[in-house]
Amino acid sequence: MLSSPAIHPPRSVARGAALAALRADPAARLTSGRELTRRRADGAAPEPLATGLEPLDRLLGGGLPRGRLVELVGLHSSGRFAAGMAAIAAATAGGETTALVDLGEGLEPAAAAAAGAVLERLLWVRPRNLKQAALSSEMLLNAGFPLVVLDLGQPPVAGGRGPQAVWLRLARAAASHGAALLVSAPYRASGTAAAAVVLSSRTRPAWSGSGGAPRLLTGFHSQLALDKQRGGGRPPGRALLTVRAQQLIDGRLPGMPARGGRAAGAA
Amino acid sequence: MSRLACLFVPLFPLAARLRSEPELAGEAVAVFHGNGSAARVVAASRRARQAGIRAGMSPSQARAVLPKLTARGRDAICERAAQQALLEIAESFSPRIEDSGEGVVYLEIAGLERHFPGSTPEQELGHALATAADKAGLTAWVGVAGSKLAARVAAEQPGSPTLVTEGGEAEFLAPLPLERLSPEIEVLATLQRWGVHSLGELARLPANEVSSRLGIAGQQLHQQARGLDPRPLVPYQPPPVFEEGLELDWPLVSLEPLLFVARTAIDRLCRRMTARGLACSRLGLSLRLDPGAWIERLLRLPAPTVQARTLLTLLRLELEREPPGAPLTAFRLRGFPDRPRSAQLSLFGPAALSPDRLATTLARLFTVLGPGRIGSPRPADAHRPEALSLVEFEPPAPPRETSEAPRGRGLMAVRALRPPLPVEVVSSTGEAAGQPSELLEVLPVSSAQTERRPRIGGRVQVASGPWLLEEEWWSRRPVERDYWDVELAGGGLYRLYRDRRSGDWFVDGIYD
Repeated sequence: MLSSPAIHPPRSVARGAALAALRADPAARLTSGRELTRRRADGAAPEPLATGLEPLDRLLGGGLPRGRLVELVGLHSSGRFAAGMAAIAAATAGGETTALVDLGEGLEPAAAAAAGAVLERLLWVRPRNLKQAALSSEMLLNAGFPLVVLDLGQPPVAGGRGPQAVWLRLARAAASHGAALLVSAPYRASGTAAAAVVLSSRTRPAWSGSGGAPRLLTGFHSQLALDKQRGGGRPPGRALLTVRAQQLIDGRLPGMPARGGRAAGAA
Repeated sequence: MSRLACLFVPLFPLAARLRSEPELAGEAVAVFHGNGSAARVVAASRRARQAGIRAGMSPSQARAVLPKLTARGRDAICERAAQQALLEIAESFSPRIEDSGEGVVYLEIAGLERHFPGSTPEQELGHALATAADKAGLTAWVGVAGSKLAARVAAEQPGSPTLVTEGGEAEFLAPLPLERLSPEIEVLATLQRWGVHSLGELARLPANEVSSRLGIAGQQLHQQARGLDPRPLVPYQPPPVFEEGLELDWPLVSLEPLLFVARTAIDRLCRRMTARGLACSRLGLSLRLDPGAWIERLLRLPAPTVQARTLLTLLRLELEREPPGAPLTAFRLRGFPDRPRSAQLSLFGPAALSPDRLATTLARLFTVLGPGRIGSPRPADAHRPEALSLVEFEPPAPPRETSEAPRGRGLMAVRALRPPLPVEVVSSTGEAAGQPSELLEVLPVSSAQTERRPRIGGRVQVASGPWLLEEEWWSRRPVERDYWDVELAGGGLYRLYRDRRSGDWFVDGIYD
């Protein structure tokens, strides 16, 4: 019995709350680990996977919902790739194994590591077309990956939008395995299969320096708009996403290049 | 006193063939040794024997007796694989086994009776061994005795398993003729001159007298006749690879028939690895081309697996990618074993992936995408932003408890363009290396390039740079680039560079 005094006090809040709830239930007579996990699962809805980007999490009600397909739509420099990187960084730093199905092959490993991603927990899949990308994503969802980020890259996407049935299959695979599926696309692709759609549109870049002084790209802002949310009854909302260059976050001096190599500075 | 079991496969060349070609079971089949008219029957199925086929017949004699006879040559690959399978069966029962070749394996069974708690543990063990061999596609007989010779003779008796009671070996062997010991001709002749014709008569002679007259050879024969082993069990060392294969009776020119026969070989390979708790990490493929050259391939798997379907798909892709180029007369598959991945799952931490399922998924992805398309990314030892390396994906165990998700850094990310997109740049100063003022698209040479290339061009609003990057100046292909960050009139932010050596401009990233 779990009420035995031999049980050590829990260390984390989550574990403590789970054990306290079980102790409070006089009918709790657990005979196996499976029973314990089932009771935990029955007790509360699965927590969404936070992306770590406060505006996006706020729009989605806490993060990427598990068992749902969320589509993030935006063109060049809309912060779409940065949002995907943030979701991967938050999930891998929290101990989750994550897959990036990267149709545009746009990942720079050093930049992903700088964004906080634990690369050991990140599986990078580089399909050649949408058909391969969808097939890979479905396999990964069925394998039990808790977060799969499917990035379609920049237009033109090899394979176009793909048939609607593909997206319905992916949504069903995510639902049956309780996984979060983030589809990052330059245009609406998943149609009715998406549980939530967030539109990302660029607003203005931020440059430091003016006049004759050297200019330095310090980040940009983009507008996030919740275009669709199924089931939750949440009204469409907007939020401003700000992403900044690494040297500003790390406290480097303006003018010092973030990229490696024998950078000689502004000429 | 030790107790030994002998696992014996009668008509081993035929049994090995039937294991590789199970569709021949029940047919009139004969296995020949040798080539052309010099070939002789070494084993024949029951149906063939009933029709009159006997060992030593030539092909023409056998055809005259039974025109519909299915003839097969001895297949060294099949027999080696069957012998390996027999050894693995024995090893699954006892850690001390000896490989005697040609369908014979000895096991030390002392102490195994605890696994068979019935009234007749050795009988049950014998039945279990025969059943395990049957599952592996081999019909084996079992004999149990105190010495190897007695166990072997017992295994050859009908009504398997045959048990020889402890101390009863000499009596059991006594009626056998001396030839059963395969003595040297001179020794045999001497013994026959003495009027010794059976093992019982030899065993009754005084040991020291036999030894003084016939030397070491005579001493060993005397020991064997008395049911003693002149040398102990020679422990078997398992080979580092698992091998299956087949010599084909006629050359194969297309892929499908080859995959059909390879499928059963892969099935057997996976079953053998599963039985030993191992998985295949690499698959070696040897193909013998007509008229005789061998080609070797090695298929690397991203993670160890024992899924036959996955291995077969890999094999198909490899052969489709690079066909052998000539008819095939034999193939050999070698599975390099590795420990299957395992992980301790946590009740309170994030859900971990099943290692076995992950390995299978990775292997299937590998078959869909091809090599170099999946893995765990790592920063390469280079300064060029596009440089990367992929390593095998082996995620560490998840933390024991779920923690709060870390707050995001909101870091600007660059979407790399692979390969970089060539552009024409108009400089505000008119110099080739001056500050960009306008980007012009370069029309692609072929329509295939158009398919994947984003369209980037327009007037430059803001430009920042140049940032110089030099790398590998000591090599034949040094990298010298001037990097610029630009904002176009449409609002897009791009990273472009000018190759100092060629003077060409490229967009290699989109700030996104």
